[in-house]
Amino acid sequence: MNFPVQELLKLAAKGGFVLGFVAVSAMFLIWLERKVSAWIQNRKGPMMTGPQGAFQSVADTVKLLLKENIVPSGADFFIWWLAPFFVAIPAVMAFVCMPFGPHHIVYDLNVGILYICSITSVSVLGIFMAGWGSNNKYSLLGGMRSAAQIISYEVPLLLSVLVVVMEAGTVSMQGIVHAQEPGWFILKPNVMVAFLIYLISATAEVNRVPFDIPEAESELVAGYHTEYSGMKFAMFFVAEYTNFFIISATTATLFFGGWLGPWAPSPVWFLLKAYGIVFFLMWVRWTLPRLRMDQMMTFAWKVLTPLALVNVLVTGWFLVRKG
Amino acid sequence: MTETVFYIIAVSLCVFAVLSVTVKDVFHSAVWLALALLSVAGIFLSLDAAFLGVIQVLVYVGGIMTLFIFAIKLTARIGDRSIRQVSQQSVCGGIVSAGIFGVFLIIIYANQWNDMMLPPGQGIGLNGLGKALLTTYALPFEFISVLLLAALVGAIVIGKVKQ
Repeated sequence: MNFPVQELLKLAAKGGFVLGFVAVSAMFLIWLERKVSAWIQNRKGPMMTGPQGAFQSVADTVKLLLKENIVPSGADFFIWWLAPFFVAIPAVMAFVCMPFGPHHIVYDLNVGILYICSITSVSVLGIFMAGWGSNNKYSLLGGMRSAAQIISYEVPLLLSVLVVVMEAGTVSMQGIVHAQEPGWFILKPNVMVAFLIYLISATAEVNRVPFDIPEAESELVAGYHTEYSGMKFAMFFVAEYTNFFIISATTATLFFGGWLGPWAPSPVWFLLKAYGIVFFLMWVRWTLPRLRMDQMMTFAWKVLTPLALVNVLVTGWFLVRKG
Repeated sequence: MTETVFYIIAVSLCVFAVLSVTVKDVFHSAVWLALALLSVAGIFLSLDAAFLGVIQVLVYVGGIMTLFIFAIKLTARIGDRSIRQVSQQSVCGGIVSAGIFGVFLIIIYANQWNDMMLPPGQGIGLNGLGKALLTTYALPFEFISVLLLAALVGAIVIGKVKQ
Protein backbone atom coordinates (compact mmCIF):
# COMPACT_ATOMS: atom_id res chain seq x y z
CA MET A 1 0.00 0.00 0.00
CA ASN A 2 1.27 3.42 -0.95
CA PHE A 3 1.20 5.33 2.29
CA PRO A 4 0.76 9.08 1.74
CA VAL A 5 3.51 10.24 4.12
CA GLN A 6 3.71 13.73 2.69
CA GLU A 7 -0.01 14.33 2.96
CA LEU A 8 -0.07 13.09 6.55
CA LEU A 9 2.86 15.34 7.46
CA LYS A 10 1.07 18.29 5.90
CA LEU A 11 -2.07 17.49 7.89
CA ALA A 12 -0.04 17.15 11.09
CA ALA A 13 1.61 20.52 10.46
CA LYS A 14 -1.77 22.18 9.93
CA GLY A 15 -3.18 20.54 13.06
CA GLY A 16 -0.16 21.65 15.06
CA PHE A 17 -0.55 25.20 13.82
CA VAL A 18 -4.24 25.28 14.81
CA LEU A 19 -3.57 23.85 18.28
CA GLY A 20 -0.71 26.28 18.83
CA PHE A 21 -2.80 29.20 17.66
CA VAL A 22 -5.72 28.18 19.92
CA ALA A 23 -3.48 27.94 22.99
CA VAL A 24 -1.60 31.19 22.39
CA SER A 25 -4.72 33.08 21.37
CA ALA A 26 -6.62 31.95 24.47
CA MET A 27 -3.73 32.96 26.73
CA PHE A 28 -3.48 36.33 25.02
CA LEU A 29 -7.24 36.89 25.25
CA ILE A 30 -7.31 36.07 28.97
CA TRP A 31 -4.52 38.57 29.59
CA LEU A 32 -6.25 41.15 27.38
CA GLU A 33 -9.54 40.67 29.18
CA ARG A 34 -7.91 41.32 32.54
CA LYS A 35 -6.13 44.39 31.22
CA VAL A 36 -9.20 45.81 29.45
CA SER A 37 -11.40 45.26 32.50
CA ALA A 38 -8.75 46.96 34.64
CA TRP A 39 -8.48 49.97 32.32
CA ILE A 40 -12.25 50.35 32.22
CA GLN A 41 -12.48 50.17 36.00
CA ASN A 42 -9.53 52.56 36.41
CA ARG A 43 -7.20 49.88 37.80
CA LYS A 44 -3.90 48.58 36.50
CA GLY A 45 -4.61 44.84 36.25
CA PRO A 46 -1.79 42.27 36.36
CA MET A 47 1.57 44.07 36.54
CA MET A 48 4.04 41.78 38.34
CA THR A 49 4.90 39.02 35.82
CA GLY A 50 6.70 40.54 32.86
CA PRO A 51 6.14 43.95 31.28
CA GLN A 52 2.52 45.00 31.89
CA GLY A 53 1.92 41.53 33.34
CA ALA A 54 2.28 39.97 29.89
CA PHE A 55 3.38 36.60 31.31
CA GLN A 56 0.51 36.34 33.80
CA SER A 57 -1.34 33.82 31.59
CA VAL A 58 1.80 31.70 31.24
CA ALA A 59 2.14 31.61 35.02
CA ASP A 60 -1.54 30.73 35.35
CA THR A 61 -1.17 27.90 32.85
CA VAL A 62 1.76 26.41 34.77
CA LYS A 63 -0.27 26.69 37.96
CA LEU A 64 -3.27 24.93 36.36
CA LEU A 65 -1.02 22.16 35.02
CA LEU A 66 0.27 21.44 38.50
CA LYS A 67 -3.08 21.60 40.25
CA GLU A 68 -4.79 18.52 41.62
CA ASN A 69 -7.71 17.15 39.63
CA ILE A 70 -10.53 16.89 42.15
CA VAL A 71 -13.47 14.59 41.40
CA PRO A 72 -16.56 15.63 43.37
CA SER A 73 -18.01 12.80 45.45
CA GLY A 74 -21.28 11.50 44.04
CA ALA A 75 -20.44 12.77 40.58
CA ASP A 76 -21.38 10.70 37.56
CA PHE A 77 -17.71 10.08 36.73
CA PHE A 78 -18.10 9.05 33.09
CA ILE A 79 -20.23 12.08 32.16
CA TRP A 80 -18.16 14.41 34.34
CA TRP A 81 -14.93 13.20 32.72
CA LEU A 82 -16.22 13.37 29.14
CA ALA A 83 -17.86 16.81 29.27
CA PRO A 84 -14.76 19.03 28.82
CA PHE A 85 -13.86 17.17 25.62
CA PHE A 86 -17.31 17.86 24.18
CA VAL A 87 -16.72 21.55 24.80
CA ALA A 88 -13.04 21.87 23.84
CA ILE A 89 -12.79 19.67 20.71
CA PRO A 90 -15.55 21.42 18.68
CA ALA A 91 -13.94 24.77 19.48
CA VAL A 92 -10.67 23.59 17.93
CA MET A 93 -12.45 21.87 15.04
CA ALA A 94 -14.16 25.10 14.00
CA PHE A 95 -10.75 26.42 12.88
CA VAL A 96 -10.76 24.02 9.92
CA CYS A 97 -12.77 26.53 7.89
CA MET A 98 -11.34 29.76 9.28
CA PRO A 99 -9.88 31.79 6.37
CA PHE A 100 -6.74 33.54 7.67
CA GLY A 101 -5.78 34.56 4.12
CA PRO A 102 -6.35 33.64 0.46
CA HIS A 103 -4.21 30.51 0.88
CA HIS A 104 -4.09 30.34 4.68
CA ILE A 105 -6.95 27.99 5.44
CA VAL A 106 -6.78 24.42 6.69
CA TYR A 107 -9.45 23.17 4.31
CA ASP A 108 -11.95 25.28 2.38
CA LEU A 109 -15.06 23.12 2.80
CA ASN A 110 -17.76 24.17 0.36
CA VAL A 111 -20.21 24.42 3.28
CA GLY A 112 -17.84 26.50 5.45
CA ILE A 113 -20.11 28.76 7.47
CA LEU A 114 -22.68 25.99 8.01
CA TYR A 115 -19.85 23.78 9.26
CA ILE A 116 -18.74 26.38 11.80
CA CYS A 117 -22.32 26.90 13.03
CA SER A 118 -22.98 23.17 13.34
CA ILE A 119 -19.72 22.17 14.98
CA THR A 120 -19.99 24.89 17.62
CA SER A 121 -23.54 23.75 18.43
CA VAL A 122 -22.11 20.47 19.76
CA SER A 123 -20.73 22.28 22.80
CA VAL A 124 -24.28 22.67 24.18
CA LEU A 125 -24.17 18.96 24.90
CA GLY A 126 -20.85 19.26 26.73
CA ILE A 127 -22.06 22.15 28.85
CA PHE A 128 -25.17 20.25 29.83
CA MET A 129 -23.13 17.11 30.58
CA ALA A 130 -20.83 19.12 32.83
CA GLY A 131 -23.83 20.46 34.72
CA TRP A 132 -25.46 17.06 35.01
CA GLY A 133 -22.39 15.02 35.88
CA SER A 134 -21.16 17.33 38.64
CA ASN A 135 -23.97 16.34 41.01
CA ASN A 136 -24.31 19.94 42.14
CA LYS A 137 -27.54 21.90 41.88
CA TYR A 138 -25.77 25.14 40.92
CA SER A 139 -23.92 23.39 38.12
CA LEU A 140 -27.11 21.76 36.88
CA LEU A 141 -28.99 25.09 36.94
CA GLY A 142 -26.13 26.73 35.06
CA GLY A 143 -26.04 23.94 32.49
CA MET A 144 -29.82 24.11 31.96
CA ARG A 145 -29.79 27.87 31.56
CA SER A 146 -26.88 27.69 29.19
CA ALA A 147 -28.44 25.01 27.00
CA ALA A 148 -31.78 26.85 26.85
CA GLN A 149 -30.04 30.09 25.99
CA ILE A 150 -27.79 28.63 23.32
CA ILE A 151 -30.53 26.79 21.47
CA SER A 152 -32.80 29.87 21.59
CA TYR A 153 -30.19 32.24 20.20
CA GLU A 154 -29.15 29.71 17.56
CA VAL A 155 -32.33 30.59 15.61
CA PRO A 156 -31.71 34.33 15.05
CA LEU A 157 -28.00 33.59 14.61
CA LEU A 158 -28.56 31.22 11.69
CA LEU A 159 -31.20 33.51 10.18
CA SER A 160 -28.78 36.45 10.22
CA VAL A 161 -26.06 34.30 8.65
CA LEU A 162 -28.62 33.38 5.98
CA VAL A 163 -28.83 37.04 4.90
CA VAL A 164 -25.07 37.10 4.30
CA VAL A 165 -25.26 33.79 2.42
CA MET A 166 -28.05 35.20 0.23
CA GLU A 167 -25.97 38.28 -0.58
CA ALA A 168 -22.82 36.24 -1.27
CA GLY A 169 -24.55 33.40 -3.13
CA THR A 170 -22.25 30.86 -1.49
CA VAL A 171 -21.68 29.20 1.90
CA SER A 172 -17.93 28.70 1.53
CA MET A 173 -15.93 31.00 3.82
CA GLN A 174 -13.48 31.94 1.05
CA GLY A 175 -16.40 32.50 -1.32
CA ILE A 176 -18.00 34.90 1.16
CA VAL A 177 -14.73 36.84 1.45
CA HIS A 178 -14.32 37.00 -2.33
CA ALA A 179 -17.92 38.20 -2.70
CA GLN A 180 -16.96 41.23 -0.60
CA GLU A 181 -14.23 42.43 -2.96
CA PRO A 182 -16.47 45.23 -4.38
CA GLY A 183 -17.37 46.36 -0.85
CA TRP A 184 -17.81 45.00 2.65
CA PHE A 185 -21.24 43.54 3.38
CA ILE A 186 -21.61 45.73 6.47
CA LEU A 187 -22.13 48.73 4.15
CA LYS A 188 -25.50 47.36 2.94
CA PRO A 189 -28.43 48.40 5.18
CA ASN A 190 -30.09 44.96 5.35
CA VAL A 191 -26.79 43.28 6.22
CA MET A 192 -26.19 45.91 8.88
CA VAL A 193 -29.39 44.76 10.60
CA ALA A 194 -28.19 41.16 10.21
CA PHE A 195 -24.85 42.19 11.73
CA LEU A 196 -26.53 43.59 14.85
CA ILE A 197 -28.65 40.43 15.23
CA TYR A 198 -25.58 38.25 14.67
CA LEU A 199 -23.44 40.10 17.18
CA ILE A 200 -26.12 40.00 19.90
CA SER A 201 -26.93 36.30 19.33
CA ALA A 202 -23.26 35.35 19.13
CA THR A 203 -22.55 37.10 22.42
CA ALA A 204 -25.38 35.09 23.94
CA GLU A 205 -24.05 31.88 22.36
CA VAL A 206 -20.71 32.20 24.14
CA ASN A 207 -22.35 33.16 27.46
CA ARG A 208 -20.75 36.56 27.80
CA VAL A 209 -22.12 39.57 29.67
CA PRO A 210 -24.81 40.88 29.29
CA PHE A 211 -25.91 37.28 28.59
CA ASP A 212 -23.78 35.47 31.16
CA ILE A 213 -26.68 34.29 33.32
CA PRO A 214 -25.51 30.61 33.08
CA GLU A 215 -22.40 31.46 35.05
CA ALA A 216 -23.69 34.37 37.10
CA GLU A 217 -21.15 34.38 39.96
CA SER A 218 -23.45 36.07 42.43
CA GLU A 219 -26.13 33.37 42.23
CA LEU A 220 -24.61 30.21 40.73
CA VAL A 221 -20.98 30.25 41.99
CA ALA A 222 -19.61 29.63 38.47
CA GLY A 223 -22.36 27.66 36.74
CA TYR A 224 -21.58 24.45 34.92
CA HIS A 225 -17.83 24.43 35.58
CA THR A 226 -18.03 24.99 39.34
CA GLU A 227 -16.87 21.46 40.16
CA TYR A 228 -13.90 21.33 37.81
CA SER A 229 -10.29 21.97 38.77
CA GLY A 230 -6.84 21.76 37.24
CA MET A 231 -6.59 20.88 33.55
CA LYS A 232 -10.30 20.05 33.27
CA PHE A 233 -11.11 23.60 34.27
CA ALA A 234 -8.41 24.88 31.93
CA MET A 235 -10.10 23.05 29.04
CA PHE A 236 -13.39 24.84 29.73
CA PHE A 237 -11.59 28.14 30.07
CA VAL A 238 -9.60 27.75 26.85
CA ALA A 239 -12.74 26.57 25.00
CA GLU A 240 -14.64 29.61 26.24
CA TYR A 241 -12.04 32.05 24.97
CA THR A 242 -11.56 30.09 21.75
CA ASN A 243 -15.29 30.26 21.06
CA PHE A 244 -15.09 33.96 21.79
CA PHE A 245 -12.34 34.32 19.19
CA ILE A 246 -14.31 32.18 16.72
CA ILE A 247 -17.38 34.41 16.85
CA SER A 248 -15.20 37.51 16.44
CA ALA A 249 -13.31 35.99 13.52
CA THR A 250 -16.56 34.83 11.91
CA THR A 251 -18.03 38.31 12.32
CA ALA A 252 -14.94 39.76 10.65
CA THR A 253 -15.25 37.29 7.78
CA LEU A 254 -19.00 37.61 7.24
CA PHE A 255 -19.39 41.36 7.56
CA PHE A 256 -16.00 43.11 7.42
CA GLY A 257 -14.39 41.46 4.40
CA GLY A 258 -12.27 38.91 6.27
CA TRP A 259 -8.66 39.04 5.11
CA LEU A 260 -9.33 41.69 2.43
CA GLY A 261 -7.26 44.83 2.88
CA PRO A 262 -4.58 46.92 1.19
CA TRP A 263 -0.78 47.11 1.84
CA ALA A 264 -0.38 44.63 4.70
CA PRO A 265 -0.41 40.81 4.19
CA SER A 266 -3.90 39.33 4.46
CA PRO A 267 -3.50 37.34 7.74
CA VAL A 268 -2.54 40.62 9.43
CA TRP A 269 -5.79 42.22 8.27
CA PHE A 270 -7.79 39.20 9.36
CA LEU A 271 -6.27 39.18 12.85
CA LEU A 272 -6.59 42.97 13.18
CA LYS A 273 -10.32 42.84 12.35
CA ALA A 274 -10.95 39.81 14.56
CA TYR A 275 -9.14 41.28 17.57
CA GLY A 276 -10.86 44.62 16.97
CA ILE A 277 -14.22 42.89 17.42
CA VAL A 278 -12.83 41.00 20.43
CA PHE A 279 -11.91 44.34 21.99
CA PHE A 280 -15.37 45.75 21.26
CA LEU A 281 -17.07 42.76 22.92
CA MET A 282 -14.81 43.07 25.97
CA TRP A 283 -15.73 46.73 26.19
CA VAL A 284 -19.43 45.73 26.12
CA ARG A 285 -18.83 43.10 28.78
CA TRP A 286 -17.30 45.48 31.28
CA THR A 287 -19.85 48.25 30.62
CA LEU A 288 -23.27 46.59 30.71
CA PRO A 289 -25.02 44.85 33.62
CA ARG A 290 -26.40 41.31 33.41
CA LEU A 291 -29.90 40.59 32.09
CA ARG A 292 -32.50 38.44 33.81
CA MET A 293 -33.17 34.94 32.41
CA ASP A 294 -36.78 35.63 31.36
CA GLN A 295 -35.85 38.98 29.77
CA MET A 296 -33.19 37.21 27.77
CA MET A 297 -35.48 34.46 26.46
CA THR A 298 -38.26 36.97 25.66
CA PHE A 299 -35.75 39.07 23.74
CA ALA A 300 -34.58 36.09 21.67
CA TRP A 301 -38.00 34.77 20.73
CA LYS A 302 -40.17 37.89 20.56
CA VAL A 303 -37.74 40.49 19.21
CA LEU A 304 -34.67 39.00 17.52
CA THR A 305 -36.27 36.02 15.74
CA PRO A 306 -39.14 37.97 14.10
CA LEU A 307 -36.74 40.77 13.17
CA ALA A 308 -34.34 38.27 11.60
CA LEU A 309 -37.19 36.64 9.65
CA VAL A 310 -38.39 40.00 8.30
CA ASN A 311 -34.79 40.81 7.39
CA VAL A 312 -34.49 37.58 5.39
CA LEU A 313 -37.73 38.42 3.56
CA VAL A 314 -36.60 41.96 2.76
CA THR A 315 -33.24 40.69 1.51
CA GLY A 316 -34.98 38.16 -0.71
CA TRP A 317 -37.24 40.87 -2.10
CA PHE A 318 -34.24 43.12 -2.88
CA LEU A 319 -32.36 40.30 -4.55
CA VAL A 320 -35.34 39.29 -6.69
CA ARG A 321 -35.88 42.89 -7.80
CA LYS A 322 -32.23 43.25 -8.66
CA GLY A 323 -32.59 40.08 -10.73
CA MET B 1 -6.19 6.17 3.34
CA THR B 2 -9.91 6.91 2.86
CA GLU B 3 -10.63 3.24 3.47
CA THR B 4 -8.64 3.15 6.71
CA VAL B 5 -10.50 6.23 7.94
CA PHE B 6 -13.81 4.67 6.96
CA TYR B 7 -13.09 1.46 8.90
CA ILE B 8 -11.95 3.34 12.00
CA ILE B 9 -15.15 5.42 12.01
CA ALA B 10 -17.36 2.45 11.16
CA VAL B 11 -16.00 0.33 14.01
CA SER B 12 -16.37 3.14 16.53
CA LEU B 13 -19.89 3.79 15.23
CA CYS B 14 -20.85 0.16 15.89
CA VAL B 15 -19.31 0.25 19.36
CA PHE B 16 -21.13 3.48 20.26
CA ALA B 17 -24.43 2.18 18.86
CA VAL B 18 -24.23 -1.05 20.86
CA LEU B 19 -23.25 0.83 24.00
CA SER B 20 -26.15 3.25 23.60
CA VAL B 21 -28.67 0.41 23.81
CA THR B 22 -26.89 -1.68 26.45
CA VAL B 23 -25.80 0.78 29.16
CA LYS B 24 -28.06 1.02 32.16
CA ASP B 25 -28.22 4.77 32.75
CA VAL B 26 -30.55 6.81 30.49
CA PHE B 27 -28.25 9.81 30.38
CA HIS B 28 -25.20 7.69 29.49
CA SER B 29 -27.26 6.08 26.76
CA ALA B 30 -28.05 9.53 25.32
CA VAL B 31 -24.36 10.47 25.33
CA TRP B 32 -23.38 7.26 23.49
CA LEU B 33 -26.14 7.94 20.98
CA ALA B 34 -24.73 11.43 20.42
CA LEU B 35 -21.29 9.93 19.76
CA ALA B 36 -22.83 7.41 17.34
CA LEU B 37 -24.57 10.23 15.45
CA LEU B 38 -21.30 12.17 15.31
CA SER B 39 -19.62 9.10 13.80
CA VAL B 40 -22.31 8.95 11.12
CA ALA B 41 -21.47 12.58 10.31
CA GLY B 42 -17.84 11.50 10.09
CA ILE B 43 -18.74 8.83 7.52
CA PHE B 44 -20.64 11.40 5.45
CA LEU B 45 -17.63 13.71 5.56
CA SER B 46 -15.24 10.95 4.54
CA LEU B 47 -17.51 10.23 1.56
CA ASP B 48 -17.20 13.89 0.43
CA ALA B 49 -20.83 14.57 1.34
CA ALA B 50 -19.93 17.60 3.45
CA PHE B 51 -23.41 19.10 3.38
CA LEU B 52 -25.04 15.93 4.71
CA GLY B 53 -22.40 15.60 7.41
CA VAL B 54 -22.82 19.18 8.55
CA ILE B 55 -26.61 18.93 8.61
CA GLN B 56 -26.32 15.64 10.51
CA VAL B 57 -24.36 17.40 13.25
CA LEU B 58 -26.56 20.51 13.24
CA VAL B 59 -29.89 18.69 13.35
CA TYR B 60 -29.16 15.49 15.26
CA VAL B 61 -26.43 16.44 17.70
CA GLY B 62 -27.21 20.15 18.08
CA GLY B 63 -30.99 19.79 17.98
CA ILE B 64 -32.42 16.34 18.62
CA MET B 65 -29.88 15.26 21.26
CA THR B 66 -30.37 18.51 23.17
CA LEU B 67 -34.10 17.81 23.04
CA PHE B 68 -33.53 14.26 24.35
CA ILE B 69 -31.46 15.55 27.21
CA PHE B 70 -34.04 18.17 28.11
CA ALA B 71 -36.70 15.46 28.03
CA ILE B 72 -34.61 13.29 30.37
CA LYS B 73 -34.03 16.22 32.69
CA LEU B 74 -37.64 17.39 32.74
CA THR B 75 -39.33 14.00 32.99
CA ALA B 76 -39.84 13.40 36.67
CA ARG B 77 -37.46 10.80 38.12
CA ILE B 78 -36.47 9.19 34.80
CA GLY B 79 -32.93 10.51 35.19
CA ASP B 80 -32.86 9.38 38.80
CA ARG B 81 -29.97 6.98 39.14
CA SER B 82 -32.00 4.54 41.20
CA ILE B 83 -34.20 3.85 38.19
CA ARG B 84 -32.43 1.72 35.60
CA GLN B 85 -33.63 1.10 32.09
CA VAL B 86 -33.88 -2.63 31.63
CA SER B 87 -34.83 -4.24 28.37
CA GLN B 88 -37.30 -7.03 29.08
CA GLN B 89 -37.85 -7.96 25.46
CA SER B 90 -34.33 -8.57 24.24
CA VAL B 91 -35.40 -11.72 22.32
CA CYS B 92 -38.15 -9.95 20.36
CA GLY B 93 -35.88 -6.96 19.82
CA GLY B 94 -33.13 -9.24 18.56
CA ILE B 95 -35.48 -10.95 16.08
CA VAL B 96 -36.73 -7.61 14.73
CA SER B 97 -33.20 -6.23 14.38
CA ALA B 98 -32.01 -9.40 12.64
CA GLY B 99 -34.97 -9.13 10.24
CA ILE B 100 -34.18 -5.52 9.39
CA PHE B 101 -30.52 -6.42 8.96
CA GLY B 102 -31.52 -9.21 6.57
CA VAL B 103 -33.68 -6.84 4.52
CA PHE B 104 -30.75 -4.43 4.25
CA LEU B 105 -28.44 -7.22 3.14
CA ILE B 106 -30.92 -8.28 0.45
CA ILE B 107 -31.25 -4.69 -0.80
CA ILE B 108 -27.47 -4.22 -0.83
CA TYR B 109 -26.76 -7.42 -2.75
CA ALA B 110 -29.75 -7.24 -5.11
CA ASN B 111 -28.68 -3.93 -6.66
CA GLN B 112 -25.83 -2.98 -8.93
CA TRP B 113 -24.60 0.05 -7.02
CA ASN B 114 -21.76 0.80 -9.42
CA ASP B 115 -24.22 1.64 -12.19
CA MET B 116 -26.10 4.10 -10.00
CA MET B 117 -23.04 5.99 -8.82
CA LEU B 118 -22.49 9.50 -10.14
CA PRO B 119 -18.89 10.43 -10.84
CA PRO B 120 -17.59 12.83 -8.15
CA GLY B 121 -18.41 16.50 -8.70
CA GLN B 122 -21.59 15.74 -10.64
CA GLY B 123 -23.99 15.88 -7.71
CA ILE B 124 -26.60 18.60 -7.73
CA GLY B 125 -24.85 20.66 -5.05
CA LEU B 126 -26.35 23.10 -2.60
CA ASN B 127 -27.82 25.38 -5.28
CA GLY B 128 -29.53 22.52 -7.05
CA LEU B 129 -30.81 21.11 -3.77
CA GLY B 130 -32.40 24.43 -2.80
CA LYS B 131 -33.98 24.89 -6.21
CA ALA B 132 -35.32 21.33 -6.29
CA LEU B 133 -36.85 21.69 -2.82
CA LEU B 134 -38.70 24.89 -3.74
CA THR B 135 -39.79 23.97 -7.27
CA THR B 136 -40.05 20.26 -8.14
CA TYR B 137 -40.60 19.09 -4.57
CA ALA B 138 -42.45 22.18 -3.30
CA LEU B 139 -45.56 20.22 -2.29
CA PRO B 140 -43.86 17.59 -0.09
CA PHE B 141 -41.65 20.32 1.35
CA GLU B 142 -44.64 22.45 2.31
CA PHE B 143 -46.47 19.38 3.55
CA ILE B 144 -43.64 18.59 5.95
CA SER B 145 -43.58 22.17 7.23
CA VAL B 146 -47.33 22.10 7.87
CA LEU B 147 -46.90 18.79 9.70
CA LEU B 148 -44.13 20.25 11.86
CA LEU B 149 -46.22 23.33 12.59
CA ALA B 150 -49.13 21.13 13.65
CA ALA B 151 -46.82 19.15 15.93
CA LEU B 152 -45.48 22.38 17.41
CA VAL B 153 -48.96 23.78 18.11
CA GLY B 154 -50.02 20.41 19.53
CA ALA B 155 -47.02 20.32 21.85
CA ILE B 156 -47.82 23.82 23.12
CA VAL B 157 -51.47 22.89 23.72
CA ILE B 158 -50.53 19.69 25.61
CA GLY B 159 -47.76 21.40 27.55
CA LYS B 160 -49.86 24.39 28.59
CA VAL B 161 -50.53 24.55 32.31
CA LYS B 162 -54.26 24.41 33.03
CA GLN B 163 -55.45 27.55 34.77
